[in-house]
Amino acid sequence: MTKTKAILIDITKCIGCRSCEQACKQIHGFPMQTEAKLSATALTVVEDHGDRFLRKMCMNCQDPACASACLVGALRKTELGPVTYESSKCIGCRYCIVACPFNVPRYEWTKLVPFVKKCDMCYARQVKGEQPACVEACPVQASIVGWRDEILEEAQRRIVLDSKYVKHIYGSEEAGGTSVFFISDVPFEKLGLTEMSNQPMPVLTANALGDVPTVVLVGGSLLASLYWITNRRKHVAMSEAQEAASGTTGKSERS
Amino acid sequence: MSRLEALSGFIRPKITMWRVIVALIFAAGCYGAYARFALGLHQSTNLTDGQPWGLWVGLGTLCGVGISAGGFAIAAAVYLLGFERYRPVVRSAVLLSFLGYLTVCVGMMYELGLPWRIWHPIVMWNRHSVLFEVSWCVMLYTTVLTLEFSPALVERIPWKGLRNTYLKWHHELLIGLVMVGAVLSSLHQSFLGGLYLVAKGKVDPLWYSQYLPTLFYLSAVPAGLAATIMAVYLCNRSLNAGIDPRILTEMSQVIAPLLYVYALFRGIDLVTHGGLASLWYWREESLLFLLEIGLLVVAPIILLSQKKIRSNPQHLYLTCSLVVMGFIANRLNVSVTAFERTSGYHYVPKWTEFALTLATVTAAAVAFHYAVRYLDILPKKQPKKWIVENAATA
Repeated sequence: MTKTKAILIDITKCIGCRSCEQACKQIHGFPMQTEAKLSATALTVVEDHGDRFLRKMCMNCQDPACASACLVGALRKTELGPVTYESSKCIGCRYCIVACPFNVPRYEWTKLVPFVKKCDMCYARQVKGEQPACVEACPVQASIVGWRDEILEEAQRRIVLDSKYVKHIYGSEEAGGTSVFFISDVPFEKLGLTEMSNQPMPVLTANALGDVPTVVLVGGSLLASLYWITNRRKHVAMSEAQEAASGTTGKSERS
Repeated sequence: MSRLEALSGFIRPKITMWRVIVALIFAAGCYGAYARFALGLHQSTNLTDGQPWGLWVGLGTLCGVGISAGGFAIAAAVYLLGFERYRPVVRSAVLLSFLGYLTVCVGMMYELGLPWRIWHPIVMWNRHSVLFEVSWCVMLYTTVLTLEFSPALVERIPWKGLRNTYLKWHHELLIGLVMVGAVLSSLHQSFLGGLYLVAKGKVDPLWYSQYLPTLFYLSAVPAGLAATIMAVYLCNRSLNAGIDPRILTEMSQVIAPLLYVYALFRGIDLVTHGGLASLWYWREESLLFLLEIGLLVVAPIILLSQKKIRSNPQHLYLTCSLVVMGFIANRLNVSVTAFERTSGYHYVPKWTEFALTLATVTAAAVAFHYAVRYLDILPKKQPKKWIVENAATA
């Protein structure tokens, strides 16, 4: 992967105006009422945590669990960074929702032809060189977008220069790294951003899937050899019985 | 004649009662299907984004596949290992697996959000997905099971030439089919556990393990054998099958060591992964964990060690039902209980979810019943059958 895009969300700057939410709903054509939690019609929400606001959205992981889980490859990590969803491939198994470590994807449970809904960092806009709608709408630059390495540098610069920041960029390493980063002056756990392994989730299944050829080869040859032994035994038993039978007939002839 | 009348008087209401129950289940299932397809998942299930997989996956798919493990185990024992004494139960075991897989396939049709796209995995591949491998295992192994079971149906074809050609051709292929089936089925059982590997951090430590695939495999084989024993026992009791109960006793002697191996593996895994530590906090999860272990491991191992229980078919049947219940508890714990704490959502299936699953399983049971009655699945006790048939017409 070459250069990818990333979003930095600075919790200390967010004023909770919900312009990002509104912009997101507008470009997706969702009903405009405010929602408390991520839903199939709210791909980003501003959560009120007392004196701080946390804007939740898909983290667009570097090595996404959802994309590794999706059996038909409807979810995909693009070259540009966003994790996109190709609804025409989806069969509605919902394994992506099970797999996501950040509990982001939402399902259209109420629809008869339901699809998965999640933020894709406005991939279509970004391809055209535009900013994601939420970032563009932010009046105080609490969210900024840019190349991932540059955005990480900027985040690093902010937390080093200002002592109020927690000395960690949430998303820089979580689940193998994401394309959305949070920096904050209050502990991340207080905002519901839980501690997480730095291991990319797909690694967990890669080992099991890597064992498949071995299982097939070893299992197959084991079964084949067992069958060979069984067959051989049968033959031996049969020829012994035949010999015994011919022996007895021979005896009876002699007597 | 009075005896026959008494028998028919005894049998008739019994049959009617069962038929009424089956009809009620099917009626409920029809409503469930209407709710699912005409009103949507929201109206027919209590699934949410916190619990996107519920009863249909936990019971329908995980248990449906697991309980079907008896087919490959018995077929491999007879055809590959030469345990000829199990030959009389091969067909019933394969039939059970075949119907089990059919219920899984049917279950997919209401479980998937977009079931008309069920063929997508054939042409759209993602080899990093465990579910992709699972879908291929279902497709291939269902095909293998259909082929393994096909002679029982082909035997009924009235054209002798066609029948004999097919059976001859089938005989040539059989060993290969059994081998492929054993490998596919083993992979499939393991992959179902593998599905949950990626959800580390969401699955409660009492159930999460990097060895979930192995644990799923090790528990599926004894549960599949237990289900086969139950099915054969019921055929003996109600369908005049003449299987020597000693075969069932012998099969049960295989279950106990398999459960030992599973218990040992699970125990070591729990201790080394530190999952056991969370058992000391008193939570609902702990209770359900103990229930699962009690039913699946502790009770059956104790009961199967008693000769009195092993040799009494009815007691054996009840012990096997404990194994199957424990197995179901395990799969539901992994797929539902283990997620409740992290999702913060207490999932209780809607009645329509139960209705659809129950109707699918009942359909399989009815199919099993008629297959045993009209096809050559199990050796029959001839005289008794004569009485029953006459009683039915009397």
